Amino acid sequence: MAGLKSILSHSKSVVTTKTGNEYVLVPIANNIADMNSMYTLNETGAFIWEHINGINSVENIISDMIKEYDVDYSTASNDVFSFINEMEAYLIISE
Amino acid sequence: MPPGHEVKKTHQKCIKKFQKKKLVRNVKLEIAGYRIGFEAETEGLSLSVSKKFLTSISSGTYEDITIRVHRSEYYPEPDAAKVFHAPFVEEIDGIIVQNNPDFWSIWKNDSSLFIKIIFPLSKVEKKAVLRFSLAEKEWNLWIDTDETEVDPLEYPLDGLILYYLTVINNDIMIHASGVSHDGEGYLFTGISGKGKSTMANLWAASGAQVIHDDRLIIRKKGDGYRMFNTPVYDNDYPLSCPLSKIFVIEHGKENIVIPLKGAASVSQIMANCIQHAWDSRIIGNLMESVSGMCNIIPSYKLNFTPKRSVIDFILKKDEHPR
Repeated sequence: MAGLKSILSHSKSVVTTKTGNEYVLVPIANNIADMNSMYTLNETGAFIWEHINGINSVENIISDMIKEYDVDYSTASNDVFSFINEMEAYLIISE
Repeated sequence: MPPGHEVKKTHQKCIKKFQKKKLVRNVKLEIAGYRIGFEAETEGLSLSVSKKFLTSISSGTYEDITIRVHRSEYYPEPDAAKVFHAPFVEEIDGIIVQNNPDFWSIWKNDSSLFIKIIFPLSKVEKKAVLRFSLAEKEWNLWIDTDETEVDPLEYPLDGLILYYLTVINNDIMIHASGVSHDGEGYLFTGISGKGKSTMANLWAASGAQVIHDDRLIIRKKGDGYRMFNTPVYDNDYPLSCPLSKIFVIEHGKENIVIPLKGAASVSQIMANCIQHAWDSRIIGNLMESVSGMCNIIPSYKLNFTPKRSVIDFILKKDEHPR
């Protein structure tokens, strides 16, 4: 379970491509792509995904999101934690 | 003839015109713009191609790949590991039946890929191994058979060879029907049963040229894209046209079109691409190729009624906001 101080990075269990401001993600299991479980990330999801880089903490990402989208802390925090929960299988979480 | 005259039959040598069958030692084909050369390596081995490939025979000298054909048994190297396999599945009376769990399988080691194949539609029992590398132009095919004439594109080899040519060239192989009308090419893709053949039949009835109703290869050409048929039926012959629009189709109660953009178009089209999903780099490259195509070629979600009216609907350009 990620907390504000957690550092996140991308797992190798997903292949991604960026198209415009969005991403398509294909999960990989046992080296086989699961084409039935593709994810698409809209611009907000893409922003969060790109800020997950093994350096930023969850707190950093929330802070960057507030600046980028001019939203309040509650909105940004909900978005980021929702994203992390949804994409947990494709993230590496370090405390 | 006076009585008692014996007519002697003239002894004739029994002449049997014997013609030594000419060995075909090499065959060149051009399919979807890929130039494939086959060369028989085993002494006495002759090559043949099925009817559906006769119109693809080429006389050019340049080859994208050369496949050396041997008549013998072959085993992948001991360090090759299986990475993918496909069972042979048939639909009988609407029920999917797995007839053979080991139709073809892909093995790899550090230097090569190997595809082990059986031929479920062959009248004689035989098997084959195709050895190749995505980085090399010379491939080898060993067919374990007593026959002296072999078809190096016998099913499933045809689809497998063409698929890996799309991988090497970052092209796209897709379950789709494609039609050409007044210089515009429309591609209709969707999972089985969603209306690809129905759509092709409707266009054919309206006078359009059907590029294919089942499987197409899409290749980048200059600033645009071109779709090509791949021989599946005996009466197929090479066809291609520029690609203008892509429709992800589904049956509906009325004709409705919704533009697809960005990740939505990429993911919906990717889901209908033919892919051997055993290598993340191959998947990543396909995603890049589809993404590049979606940046240039407009795509739409189309719910349609299987009537002539959908043709008029599609041709009304102002119905399709970009």
